[in-house]
Amino acid sequence: MKVTLISIPVRDQEKALKFYTEKLGFLKKKDSPLGGGNRWLTLVSPEWQDGPELLLEPAPNHFEPCKVFQDALMEAGYPYTQFDTDDVQKDYDRLVELDVEFSVKPTEMGTVKIAVFNDTCGNNIQLVETL
Amino acid sequence: MSDYRKKLDAVRNIVYSNDTQISSVIRIKNYIENHFETDLNLDVLSQTELISKYHLLRLFKKYYGQTPRQYLIDKRLEKSKNLLTNGISVTETCYAVGFESIGSFSSLFKRKIGKSPLQFQKEQFSRNKLD
Repeated sequence: MKVTLISIPVRDQEKALKFYTEKLGFLKKKDSPLGGGNRWLTLVSPEWQDGPELLLEPAPNHFEPCKVFQDALMEAGYPYTQFDTDDVQKDYDRLVELDVEFSVKPTEMGTVKIAVFNDTCGNNIQLVETL
Repeated sequence: MSDYRKKLDAVRNIVYSNDTQISSVIRIKNYIENHFETDLNLDVLSQTELISKYHLLRLFKKYYGQTPRQYLIDKRLEKSKNLLTNGISVTETCYAVGFESIGSFSSLFKRKIGKSPLQFQKEQFSRNKLD
């Protein structure tokens, strides 16, 4: 077995696609219809295009417990998932310029530096740089 | 303050309160990153920080979650993937990243990456041609 996919719940797939590609810089890899306006929509990192895919999953719209869980995480400020970066401060500066909102500014935590932003699709996402 | 911020503060106090240890282990990690192609071992690393190799091993594992050896191997494999993707031969890549024999490099690469260095390189080339 191989780990090839992680999924994050999003309220609006098209809005999420725009945020994750235009602001975060991910690339669309797969996009196919699943019926009812839903899509199998995955993204990859530009510098690791054969790496794991990120599935933008419209689960909160179809499964209430997912929405409840996502809302609870958001309310408490917990990240749904995290992405690695070489330079948290640089990404923070770039994303703030693009009006992305951060709940945790670049902060050193021992051997890592982290920051947390709102993906506008229902999730907090953490950036992590290994120091 | 969000629940997550409180948790971060708690983790910092419990796990990351020893600044001297953290600075030391970050310097060791940086030394590995800057000398990955050389004959690195615990004796060499412990001399850079003037601490015992057993203490070094314990500290590194505590703060990075893996041993210096595991970290070094991951670093060498990451670098070897870059070199292979840029068209450097398997033999040249093997020695450039610090492995001592083609056999050990190839078998480790296959075990960790899932394909031989040559297969990996061919796949990168064919992908680039298709793009």
